[in-house]
Amino acid sequence: MARWGMVIDLDKCTGCQACSTACQMENNRLPGENYQDVLYYTEGKQPTPVLKWFPRPCMHCEEPSCMHVCPTKATFKTEDGVVLIDWNKCIGCKYCMIACPYGVRFYTDEKPLVEPNIKDVYPGEGDLSWNPPYKGPQQDNAHGVGIQPHGVVSKCTFCYHKISKAPKGIADLSNDDAANREFVPACVRTCAPTARYFGDLDNPKSNVSRLISDKRGVRLLDHTGNKPQVYYLSGGAGPAVPSGRGGANKA
Amino acid sequence: MNILKNILEFKISRRRFLQASGTIGAAGAAGFGGSKLDGFTTLSKAHAAAESPSSGTVVTKSICAQCPARCGIDVYTTNGRVHAIYGNNDHPIANGKLCPKGHLGTYMLYDADRFKGPMKRTNPNKGRNEDPKFVPIPWDEAFKMVADRLNVLRDKGESHRFGLFFGRGWGASDVGVNIVPFGKLYGSPNAPIGHSSICSDGSVLAKQCTDGNASYSSYDYAHANCLFIFGANYLEAFRPYNNNMQQWGYMRGVKTPKTRIIAVDVHMNQMLSASDRAMIIKPGTDGALALAVAHVILTEGLWEKSFVGNFKDGMNHFKTGEKLEESSFNEKWVKGLIQWWNTELKDRTPKWAESVTTLPADLITTAAREFGSTRPAIALFERGAHTHSNGVLNGMAIHSLNALVGSLFAEGGLAYQMGPAYGQAPAKDDDFMDDYAKNGPHTKMPRIDLKGHEDGYLMAKNMIQEVGRNHLAGKPYKLDTALFYMTNPVFSTANAAKEWEEAVKSMFVIDTSPFPSEIAMMADLILPDNTYLERYQDAPTYPFQGFPLAQLRVPAVKPVYDTRTFADVLIQIGSRIKGPTGDYFKKLESAENIVRHLAKGFADNPGDNGVKDFDSWKAKGCWFKKPYHWRQVRGEFFEWDGNGWNKPMKPEEVKEKLLKTDSGKFEFVSSYMEHKKDWILKATGRSAEKYNMPHWEEPKYTGGGDLHFVTPKTAMHAEGRTANIPHAIALFQPAAGGNKQAVAEVHPSVASAKGFKNGDRIRIKSSVGEIIAIARVTELARPDTIVLPFEHGHWAWGRWAKGRGSHVDEILVQQSDRISGMQNFYTGKVTVERA
Repeated sequence: MARWGMVIDLDKCTGCQACSTACQMENNRLPGENYQDVLYYTEGKQPTPVLKWFPRPCMHCEEPSCMHVCPTKATFKTEDGVVLIDWNKCIGCKYCMIACPYGVRFYTDEKPLVEPNIKDVYPGEGDLSWNPPYKGPQQDNAHGVGIQPHGVVSKCTFCYHKISKAPKGIADLSNDDAANREFVPACVRTCAPTARYFGDLDNPKSNVSRLISDKRGVRLLDHTGNKPQVYYLSGGAGPAVPSGRGGANKA
Repeated sequence: MNILKNILEFKISRRRFLQASGTIGAAGAAGFGGSKLDGFTTLSKAHAAAESPSSGTVVTKSICAQCPARCGIDVYTTNGRVHAIYGNNDHPIANGKLCPKGHLGTYMLYDADRFKGPMKRTNPNKGRNEDPKFVPIPWDEAFKMVADRLNVLRDKGESHRFGLFFGRGWGASDVGVNIVPFGKLYGSPNAPIGHSSICSDGSVLAKQCTDGNASYSSYDYAHANCLFIFGANYLEAFRPYNNNMQQWGYMRGVKTPKTRIIAVDVHMNQMLSASDRAMIIKPGTDGALALAVAHVILTEGLWEKSFVGNFKDGMNHFKTGEKLEESSFNEKWVKGLIQWWNTELKDRTPKWAESVTTLPADLITTAAREFGSTRPAIALFERGAHTHSNGVLNGMAIHSLNALVGSLFAEGGLAYQMGPAYGQAPAKDDDFMDDYAKNGPHTKMPRIDLKGHEDGYLMAKNMIQEVGRNHLAGKPYKLDTALFYMTNPVFSTANAAKEWEEAVKSMFVIDTSPFPSEIAMMADLILPDNTYLERYQDAPTYPFQGFPLAQLRVPAVKPVYDTRTFADVLIQIGSRIKGPTGDYFKKLESAENIVRHLAKGFADNPGDNGVKDFDSWKAKGCWFKKPYHWRQVRGEFFEWDGNGWNKPMKPEEVKEKLLKTDSGKFEFVSSYMEHKKDWILKATGRSAEKYNMPHWEEPKYTGGGDLHFVTPKTAMHAEGRTANIPHAIALFQPAAGGNKQAVAEVHPSVASAKGFKNGDRIRIKSSVGEIIAIARVTELARPDTIVLPFEHGHWAWGRWAKGRGSHVDEILVQQSDRISGMQNFYTGKVTVERA
């Protein structure tokens, strides 16, 4: 069974946010509630200010603190390594949102970021919190896919409705692979500079494993022990932010 | 707000309600309340649906419409509903990828604020606070209303008082119908008038004046080892944005050696941040930087001898401040180098440029050496460099760098764009010219914008920004009827509130956008277009990589509302014009018929992807035929012979096909400008010695304040609609905007001097007006410059745009480059205070 993971090459990311909009449309996101966010930072002073950005999806941790704190076991890890929420079990207590060190979970019934409230323009029916006309055909509450019902937390699913249909044993899911294109997560598929890669971290022959090895992939806030399955590449040189991988720490 | 609400909640007739295809029409018409929407499943049912999400999904190959690049898109439709858009993998620009705007097309199709059908105004008073009181009318009645009006004008010999204004479209082709014949047959010099003078004509003229090609360039980034980017935000706004980013990933993460990037802009943005060398320049002074770079390239002997030529004795005699004998240099593919040096360049040192640009001289020297010693290299520029009074001069100086390093038509350099092998249109306009069309009063009339006129802009391509003031003054005359397609000059031209906005009050205005806008608020008739996911339309590519590429827009769904493709609307109006004009348009039949005829040209020229007729074009979404046919290799030109660039070209062939100047060379001293010498000297006040060569001229800053005011395009500028797309609003980027709001970047020193802080409301004033903005106090901005993106501050764009951001054009002074006619968007100066 694959253990899905993502590699993001920070040397190639242009901070364009196509990952965010592709995800918004694919996963019916509310404005500003981005499963795939890009964060921007400024430092320094004129005439040499620094502008930086950081693309941040859910890390789909090996040891997800969100899962461990969930009182109803709504958050769970699939056997192929993806952290999901079963909306049928979620009681919306938001404990997971506090436990997540990466800030990548969203509660349904927050005040809208952008007014007028889009949920009033496209009101939902029954349990659904809203109902955009461009909604995709998939709705799978047990895996947290589709439109959020009222009163639950939602998060990036690695486009579980896509990747879960990929052929078993495949090493990588890439837009370059015409036969398996439809199984690639939206953000990875659309990334124009090809800064995002998606594949099986447990397969040492996968492209994601090779990239992590060649360019010394690092994980965000590794000290928390969450062990993200999202790796970042930066610089490509030997010196890098120290980071443990798979239990092995110091060389 | 109530007025806008009235427009948006436009009452739909029962007939139209039934026409509106399926469920989405119902959602729109019924105001989204209560009614059950077919196609949506309940939660319990959805579990079953998830088993086979792709069953019944249709993928339509079409093209995007959110910037001029026209990326190929795969539109995913299930149960008649579009739910996803991805890049078309078989399209050379998209390659399966999209920019952030591309995905939002899904939203735009179902935008709750769309117009639902044709409407006419019943309130004769026009103004921001006047409810137009639109009422629905049938399409036939609308067509008749327009045609009757135009027929009366023609009968009176006043057909020139009809204007057709358009935004997107080059060669007026990707409108879906060639709109030039309308004016030609009906008889108006003002049909059409394009928007290029508020777009990017400065670069077109800079290239026309130097290498003879009135065009944007094609670029071979994949083989370039150095890019020097002036005021073209390659990673946010420059087209084709999607492909630029693909090239970026390749140049920066794959290619060996990694491409060196030097970037120039007026604030720290994503482009500068991602580059190797960021140059945060004083607005309007890019030309001075380019002149200093040229100075270094010459004095340090870095120019490409095989293209430019060399001193006869093989030594480098370029020494700062020293004049040279013209006979001492053998020029190869350039003309006027020594004259340019003696008259201008010899004193344009980095130290001099520092005093103009504020960039440190050592940084300029270093950048010049990097650019001058790395081949192939491209000097690329756009609006940031040329939307100033000295814009064409700046552009000529920058483009001259391409000549100095020999990158014109070279591998890893820049060239121009070939057109597609189209078939004949269904009718030929020349066959439908009646006596009026040939000799009517309109043939002696200047255009309303005085383009090409001695009193106006003799060398410009369009002057849409001055139509408002000319109409108000009645000089040269007043328009009677104006039709708008994908342009909103009431909002997007300088001093818009006092010129265009006033002018349209005394015109019969027809707007054709599917969406509400300022021009629609002033309209007498709304004839809403289909959105780009609902219509047929062809688009020869915008200059890309030179090889011909023709893209096809194919409807993914039937029109959601009672809207019609603009091309079909124009054909319907044209068909109702009396005489042969009507016959011509009847023969065109429809937008679909036109693209079917165009596709016939592919039979003899099948594309690389096998496209040979309409059906295969529709199936693939594009026709293309690589490669670009010409290449310059170390100072020799070759033509493609079917196998390679093997056929050497004679100088006269180079002149005819590539360097289209009088001399057949790249001209540092422009013969094109020399032909207009008297007019240029009079209109610009420039010296007879320098007027036709790249030289430094201080920009004429307008507005009278103490801070520069620059209004860039953002990465999220989806042909203007972004301002009303809530998802995009939530993603405004920090370098030119902010979360939920387009904000004004102001340096902390300004904020502290004026007593405001981050997030405060500020008042920005120029000599023509004032606007309120939200301050973002940041070190990204220069201490002498305020940066506030255009596109925002709409007053009739839809429910989300209303009152969000600031309308920058209200405080921009109406001033244009005398040569290109390019509106000086970035030349403003303002004062700022706490509001």
